[in-house]
Amino acid sequence: MGDEGENVPANESNDSVVNQDELILAQQRQIEKEISESIPLVGELDSVTSLCKEYSTDDVYLEKIKDLASKYSHVRRTRPDGNCFFRAFSYAILEKLLCDKDSFNTFYKLAENSKNILVELGFQQFTVEDFYETYMEVLKRLSDIDNLDDAKKELHIIFNEQGYSDYMVVYLRLLTSAQLQKEKDFYSCFIEGHRTVVDFCHQEVEPMYKESDHIHIMAACSALNTGVRVLYMDRGVGSSVTQHDLPEGCSPSVHLLYRPGHYDILYP
Amino acid sequence: MAGSALRRLMAEYKQLTLNPPEGIIAGPINEENFFEWEALITGPEGTCFEGGVFPAKLTFPPDYPLSPPKMQFTCDIFHPNIYSDGRVCISILHAPGDDPMGYESSAERWSPVQSVEKILLSVISMLAEPNDESGANVDAAKMWREDRNQFNEIAEKLVRKTLGIP
Repeated sequence: MGDEGENVPANESNDSVVNQDELILAQQRQIEKEISESIPLVGELDSVTSLCKEYSTDDVYLEKIKDLASKYSHVRRTRPDGNCFFRAFSYAILEKLLCDKDSFNTFYKLAENSKNILVELGFQQFTVEDFYETYMEVLKRLSDIDNLDDAKKELHIIFNEQGYSDYMVVYLRLLTSAQLQKEKDFYSCFIEGHRTVVDFCHQEVEPMYKESDHIHIMAACSALNTGVRVLYMDRGVGSSVTQHDLPEGCSPSVHLLYRPGHYDILYP
Repeated sequence: MAGSALRRLMAEYKQLTLNPPEGIIAGPINEENFFEWEALITGPEGTCFEGGVFPAKLTFPPDYPLSPPKMQFTCDIFHPNIYSDGRVCISILHAPGDDPMGYESSAERWSPVQSVEKILLSVISMLAEPNDESGANVDAAKMWREDRNQFNEIAEKLVRKTLGIP
């Protein structure tokens, strides 16, 4: 870089501006990391009324928690890292399937064939392979355990091991993306602005830490052939929580609590 | 799970070696450490960087491919989207929402199904068509816009330099 000054104008002022931006990003990452470290990827079961502690001075929420507690006994919190929907959904489905061998086997076959669907849609094989293999390895490990309590414990351990847990999240993100792309005519109506379904998938579904919306949930349910009930709890008017079944009219096997920006798992 | 980044990087290296894209050579600097790669990028034909062979370093994080690598040219380079120290600033090297440069919303972003190959192909198109909206090098962006002849002259000097021609 010796004679750079000769033909290349110096631009130090420019770099210092950029460093400001990088400092802000670094600080943001630090905050995210602190949140991460304080909350497990997937927590233990807590009573629904334990939510009151988070809202001790907020009457709207306290009323709604009372309503929620009349329908659900327990909640399992997930780490608020932008992956919470995918992590909660994966965990809750598998936990449910452990109780029903036949459904588990059907799900296993669905998962087994899923890589071909991704590759047919144009995903490069070597980019999806590791996520697929991890997903199948986890299903295999769980199906090999006969005792239900032991299997649930194993599930909990796996989902709190960052490497496995994140790869499970990635694979569900890919399956969701594939579902959106397979039915892109339908889903394009739900995308705001001028983005195509494929662009939307590249920017909002496939990258880690991107938060999920209604459209992600619809596609994820459809990809895994599962119904979910989402209980919405926010500061809106009324004293009850609102619920939505996706797809509409399904008998949901997974129940999730939504508070603005975050999903946790609910247990009746 | 330890080793999944390594396994992926080995798969990508194999892929790049078996089917090398035009104008790109890339691989680990030292096969003992798959997390540091060197890439050689040929300046695209019909552009002011034509004929140059530009070396760059790619540094991969331990959680690759969940997070993207960093890329830095190790030669002198003058380009709107490359910092004066060689760091490359394009959208595919950032996750969505993690960009100080305000990329267009339609721009390609990092995700675990992107790859080294896709990054390098994006860098080649960036050399051919600078994006003067995200100016990592404001002086280069200004010159590209206002004095294309001078920009081309500098680029040609840099091309000759990469080839060792005075």
